[in-house]
Amino acid sequence: MRVILPDQGIRVVEDDPGTVAALLQELGINPLEVMVARNGALIPEQAALCGTDEIRIIRIAHGG
Amino acid sequence: MGDSVVAGSDAPGGIPLCSCCGEPAVISRPERQHHLCKTHLIEDVEARVAATIGKEGQIRPGDRIAVGLSGGKDSTALLVILSRLLHRWQGVDLVAITVDEGIAGYRADTLRAAESLTRQLGVEHRIVSFCNIFENDLDTLLKGRETQACTICGVLRKKALADAARAAGATVIATGHNLDDEAQSVLMNALRGDIPRLLRNTGAGRSDLFLPRVKPLAAISEKEIAVYLFVQGLFTLLPECPYTRYALRSEVRALLAKLEWQHPGTMLHLMESKRKLEQMCAGTPVMEKLHRCRECGDPCSGVICQVCRLRHSVLK
Repeated sequence: MRVILPDQGIRVVEDDPGTVAALLQELGINPLEVMVARNGALIPEQAALCGTDEIRIIRIAHGG
Repeated sequence: MGDSVVAGSDAPGGIPLCSCCGEPAVISRPERQHHLCKTHLIEDVEARVAATIGKEGQIRPGDRIAVGLSGGKDSTALLVILSRLLHRWQGVDLVAITVDEGIAGYRADTLRAAESLTRQLGVEHRIVSFCNIFENDLDTLLKGRETQACTICGVLRKKALADAARAAGATVIATGHNLDDEAQSVLMNALRGDIPRLLRNTGAGRSDLFLPRVKPLAAISEKEIAVYLFVQGLFTLLPECPYTRYALRSEVRALLAKLEWQHPGTMLHLMESKRKLEQMCAGTPVMEKLHRCRECGDPCSGVICQVCRLRHSVLK
């Protein structure tokens, strides 16, 4: 699975992480601080992932 | 909202289904034990903002609302939602006010976003700058004082927004503070032992002393706001303020986000604690009385206001 990180870096995840929440936990990211999109569409933390997915993690910027 | 769908059902692709209609969900809310699709998230967020405004009497017929518009996600969502709800109140109109503090590498992008949004919504837009008001930009004022950035900026920004709102003929100021911001403030004030500030409610009542400052997004989480904008193509990736890292708020934000993820509802419980404390302390000496600043006449809780204190130090 190809994962685009908030800093635009790319990580290839070989093992099936199961869900979005599990993937974020593996990456050390709090799910409340990001949005996750699969092929451009937002998916919730409970969504199941599979090896062919391209996942983009978008950081929610704070402050204003 | 429509009829509930059995929780735990999944759409193709392993996506949870909306608890209202069965479409694929875009957000899950463990504290409410439901999932929402794009359509129902938009409907739910706007309904809850309208409920907050109604419950707290934040907007009255004939009001001119000055919306503090930084161009970031929260104020963008606030202006979009207020524009959509405007028809509910008779004779109410909006003016967006952007304060340009002068932060290199940060504010230019959000200013452009604010200008683009107000053009798109047809809302009057006024921009004021620290340079014009305080004779220096924030970057210059903060040299050697970076660790106090949020305190100094917060005081000056509040003053700039209030003066610009008054100059625009506004009767109320609306800001984009969300549930996360509010819960963080409760915890920060408790950590500092600042009970009067913890109990302060800037939106309560109307007075000749100040323009009320209301927070229509106070019941909406930061993530809900980001998703609300994203699903409508309104979310823009913007830089984060470079001074954020100096703030106690950054540590409190990370701590609370972790607690909220592990124990859903933590932020709502904190806000409930504040409301209960407010009720218990109503009319007691711990509630601050407002006076006029001896030097500038602005409302304040002490003898001189925080802006005048800064005039004697940072601004001199």
